[in-house]
Amino acid sequence: MEPVRYDDRQKIVRLSTEIVTARRKRNWRKYIYCGLLLFPLVAFIFGFFVIPMLYILYLSFIETKGETNAFYSIGNYVHFFTDSYYLHSLWLTIKISLYTVVVSLLLGYPVALTMAKCSPRVRGLLTLLVASPLLISIVVRNFGWYLLLLPNGTVHQLLISLGITTSPPKLLFSEIGVVIGLSNAYLPFMILSVATSLYNIDPSLEKAAAILGAGPFRSFLSVTLPLSLPGIVSGVVLVFSMSMSAYVTPALMGGANVPMLPVVAYDQIINLLRWTYGSAISYVLLGITLIMVTIFTRMMEKGRYREVFR
Amino acid sequence: MSILRRLRLLLAIISLIYILIPLVVTIPASLTSANYPSFPPKGFSLQWYTKLLERPEFVEAFWNSVKFAFLASLFSVLLGTLGALAIAKYDIPGKSYLVSLLTAPLTVPQLVLGIALLIYFTPMLLAGTPTGFLIAHIIICVPYVVRFVLTGLSGFDYNLERAAAILGASPVLVFWKVTFPLIRPAVLSGALFSFLTSFDNVTVSLFMVSPEMRTLPLEIFSTMQDAYSPIVASVSSVVILISVVLILILEKIHGVGKLLGSAH
Repeated sequence: MEPVRYDDRQKIVRLSTEIVTARRKRNWRKYIYCGLLLFPLVAFIFGFFVIPMLYILYLSFIETKGETNAFYSIGNYVHFFTDSYYLHSLWLTIKISLYTVVVSLLLGYPVALTMAKCSPRVRGLLTLLVASPLLISIVVRNFGWYLLLLPNGTVHQLLISLGITTSPPKLLFSEIGVVIGLSNAYLPFMILSVATSLYNIDPSLEKAAAILGAGPFRSFLSVTLPLSLPGIVSGVVLVFSMSMSAYVTPALMGGANVPMLPVVAYDQIINLLRWTYGSAISYVLLGITLIMVTIFTRMMEKGRYREVFR
Repeated sequence: MSILRRLRLLLAIISLIYILIPLVVTIPASLTSANYPSFPPKGFSLQWYTKLLERPEFVEAFWNSVKFAFLASLFSVLLGTLGALAIAKYDIPGKSYLVSLLTAPLTVPQLVLGIALLIYFTPMLLAGTPTGFLIAHIIICVPYVVRFVLTGLSGFDYNLERAAAILGASPVLVFWKVTFPLIRPAVLSGALFSFLTSFDNVTVSLFMVSPEMRTLPLEIFSTMQDAYSPIVASVSSVVILISVVLILILEKIHGVGKLLGSAH
């Protein structure tokens, strides 16, 4: 009888294929685990965010005539851009958003600068004070302004008693009221964006400017301000786009006197039930915001201080 | 101290006052004894708080708010944490696109989101139902949870999980004993942040409500549009106090500024 020869080569081949199949199996298992963990979230976002957004985009290209007639057209958009009421509303929305951006930048920059220059403990406290109003409902913050801005309210009485004016301007239910409400609501975003870029400035640059003979004002204008431009840009973009589509503050602080586009869109959808037209207004709002933001960002990034955006 | 520095401090103090003043005036105004709200208040009384308890619509709206905020944060944390764990651990093609898709609801204005969901839900018979309301709130909360947990996992050492597995721990035990304790702060702050986001929300809720199902901010919103009563001051003060407590807890866990920085 021939002795059984143990064939090493066969065993090696078998072993290596076993490893490959085991690894493949484990990989499959990995994919299944990953899919199981991710599937609910992705399905949820798709089903209740992506599809609804695409659905109203589709609806915005449907024009309805009478009760039953509906056909594809760009009529809703044509209607929007030819009707002076909607164009005026769009212009008003852009104007108020720009005012809001300017007010929040002017008020926000000194706070951001203070946050960048103080001790870590004070910085923590300031961050908490600046950021926490964002987590308190906007209606509550607007109500506080109601108290202050009402005809004969705190601000009016203050203006009269200080002798600044005898017939104070209308503050609530006017454009001023909306700008105050919006800038109050979004100022924290501006401060946090600008502060983040100020934290990243190398302190030795300011020292270098001082050694070269620049006073504090010159050093601010030539070193700190240009280096904080990325933060200013992101703050401006954030505040502008949020103001463009804010509904609650214009509705409460402006009322019927300040028909900004979100208020008009709400009216079309909820009160007039014109869904296809309301969908078109939504996409006009998104589109115009995107265009304005892109133009602004491009302008800044191609401007004099383009190096700081790299 | 230079003049410039003094000027900067002065301006910073003015804008801090500007940020905080609407919250600061509301609480004293709620203690007025007059029939109209004003700052400074006239006299002192707690009558607007007792009147608040006598108004069933406010009490009911309060419990609705708490209930929906709790459910929204629970589901957002479940969906968001599991998803973020998968994204952080496995090599998924197009990972950055996936993350921006999952956080996209933050970049779309809430007004547009509300319009889209109302139009989408109506043929599905979900418009004006508690389910529809809850789904809308989860959509605005879940991106925050995804971001927070992803940030929390960014420095995570997966060798810890492997070590636990080699020592014989089952996958469930590995999660409970190793992974979860390390991401607990991120998950907790995601939960609290979601609770506050849902509790505060007006814009999306406006499109999802029905007359029999209202939340506290919506009740404040409609009362403010109809009448000018100190009762709004007392409801607002209650909202402020609840929010401040939650914000302080959030600050202890993670730092509110840091969270908002990573959220936007």
